Amino acid sequence: MNMQIEIDGVDKHYGAYHALKHIDLRIPQGQFVALVGPSGCGKSTLLRTIAGLETITSGAIRIAGKDVSSAPPRARDLAMVFQSYALYPHKTVAGNMMYSMRIRGISRAKARARAEEIAKITGLEALMDRYPRELSGGQRQRVAMGRAIMREPQAFLFDEPLSNLDAALRVHMRAEIRKLHDRIGATSVYVTHDQIEAMTMADHVVVLRAGVIEQQGAPLDLYDRPVNRFVAGFIGSPAMNFVPGRIDSDGAHVILDLPDNPRLAIAGRRPAQEAVTVGLRPEHLIPGDGPNALTLPVRSVERTGSASYVRTDTQPHLMIAAADRLAGVDAGTLSVTIDPTLVHLFSPEDETALAL
Amino acid sequence: MTVPLSTTDSMPTVGTIRASGPSFRDGRGLDRVLVWLTLGFLVAFSALPLVYNVVMSFQSVDLFTIASFDRPFVGLDNYKAVLSQRATGTIVRNTAVFVGLSVALQLTIGFGLALYFQQRFPGSTWLRGLFLAGWIMPGLVVGGVWSWILAGDFGVMNWALQATGITSDKIFWLSDPSIALYSVIIANVWVGVPFNMILLSVGLAAIPDDVYEAAEMDGAGRIWRFLTITLPLMRAQLGAVISLGIIFTLQQFDLFAALTQGGPSNGSNVMQYWSWELSFQHYRIGQGAAVSVLMILVVICVAAIYVRSTRHEHAA
Repeated sequence: MNMQIEIDGVDKHYGAYHALKHIDLRIPQGQFVALVGPSGCGKSTLLRTIAGLETITSGAIRIAGKDVSSAPPRARDLAMVFQSYALYPHKTVAGNMMYSMRIRGISRAKARARAEEIAKITGLEALMDRYPRELSGGQRQRVAMGRAIMREPQAFLFDEPLSNLDAALRVHMRAEIRKLHDRIGATSVYVTHDQIEAMTMADHVVVLRAGVIEQQGAPLDLYDRPVNRFVAGFIGSPAMNFVPGRIDSDGAHVILDLPDNPRLAIAGRRPAQEAVTVGLRPEHLIPGDGPNALTLPVRSVERTGSASYVRTDTQPHLMIAAADRLAGVDAGTLSVTIDPTLVHLFSPEDETALAL
Repeated sequence: MTVPLSTTDSMPTVGTIRASGPSFRDGRGLDRVLVWLTLGFLVAFSALPLVYNVVMSFQSVDLFTIASFDRPFVGLDNYKAVLSQRATGTIVRNTAVFVGLSVALQLTIGFGLALYFQQRFPGSTWLRGLFLAGWIMPGLVVGGVWSWILAGDFGVMNWALQATGITSDKIFWLSDPSIALYSVIIANVWVGVPFNMILLSVGLAAIPDDVYEAAEMDGAGRIWRFLTITLPLMRAQLGAVISLGIIFTLQQFDLFAALTQGGPSNGSNVMQYWSWELSFQHYRIGQGAAVSVLMILVVICVAAIYVRSTRHEHAA
């Protein structure tokens, strides 16, 4: 596939602080890539180095095959949507959208015609002569999007564009942005701290922590096969439960470090007596009796109608996400079963996933 | 005049749950006291003298009638007398040159420095603070220092110019009629630059970085960003600085008193200094008042522009 953005061994230092540690990333033409991680993980810094708003200490960045490692932003031909939208406060919606074309010496009439066209796509037709201060948060967000798609850039960069919107609008805009991406077919790099946004919008998710790419891949691959405890805990909501345990003498079961030392079958074999961290997703613990069952004391149940969230009275707490209402289960014990293939094992020392 | 200053009838009804004390401090009573105090001060010390000055400009006022209010009304005679003098043309032209050049140079240098200190290099805030020194010094002291610097025979300026070979002859900064006005302008620019710089720095700091970054992504280089982002977003501050600069420059009196006394032969005389000369040296007080009324008209126009520019700022 044609690589649109290539990042080769990029390092970024701020004085003594090592913000990006040897980042390697290849983004094919037309792909929607999400950079996700907790705050301070370097995802925004990485996006800004692609944009050219931050310099890199070493390594190389190529866009459409051209080395732009030290090129200024305007030589890179990228469009960016900022978290704060960064609209030009002294320009109307139309003026904001036309700016990039006017800077390039395109006539006012041509730029206006293009802006009208984009306004139709983004639903801004009625707002063209308003100033940013006269718009709601959602409308400003649209203007920022419209401004970005005025040109046909090499790629779109999004820096947490939805984080200032309320929850309902965020879900709506999530779908809109993805729809726009599919319609335009350009490459998009999307930074977010919200793993749900990353999982639902992107073709390819890159999980960062402390300036390092922990794992990258298709969203469901990250969910099914996290390479370490960090990714396992970061992807998925509610987060995966982690319980210390030990492999049983038969090598095919793990004994959990919980009251009564319950025993769970695992899908493969590990050395006997090996200390492990067991990862159990809340939604994989299914209430009911059966093979591979655990009986756990209940501390509290939260019911949302569509799901029930059970917190167990154990150390550590376990979270169980059940699709039924669990009528009558508010104290006492609850039995849950788990498919052995859904039990994850991690090394307690380096937190990497253990092969099964 | 009965002013409803009583605090008891304006006591807020919510005070019932509180002890009696805070009603004056929190209620409308104090608001009124503060407003009337300010208004009273303005009327007594600004409005009345202003009106009195306008009245005097239509009267014949000399040393014998100065103590009484009942003076002969002379209509526009004072204005006619002032405008028909031989020096009038020179003085009006000098005033225009003084204000125009001072404001233009203060603005350009002040804006340049504000942009420079916006670059945030080590020590930039300290250095910027040092620039305020010129602004906080009393005008007469500044004038005294500059009169030494610009002194023809022993001044530092002539020494520096000759030592670096820029001129071979001494320049008589303060006693050459064609140069004296520009000497005062130099000193006045020095006084006004810090004020311009600080006010414009505040405006520059208020422009968010990401707006510049958005412009960069949109393809704007340094000069385009300055022309299409910085300048339009600084409109209100520039308007304020220009109008206040004109007003302050029209008030500049100390430097003329300390450096040239308007001379030689009115070569550096300006309206504000002339008005003082007429009133307090020649005791033609009616004429001095007429000059100052003419200046007030100019200031009112400038102030109107200033108010409009700040109103725009509030709307934004």
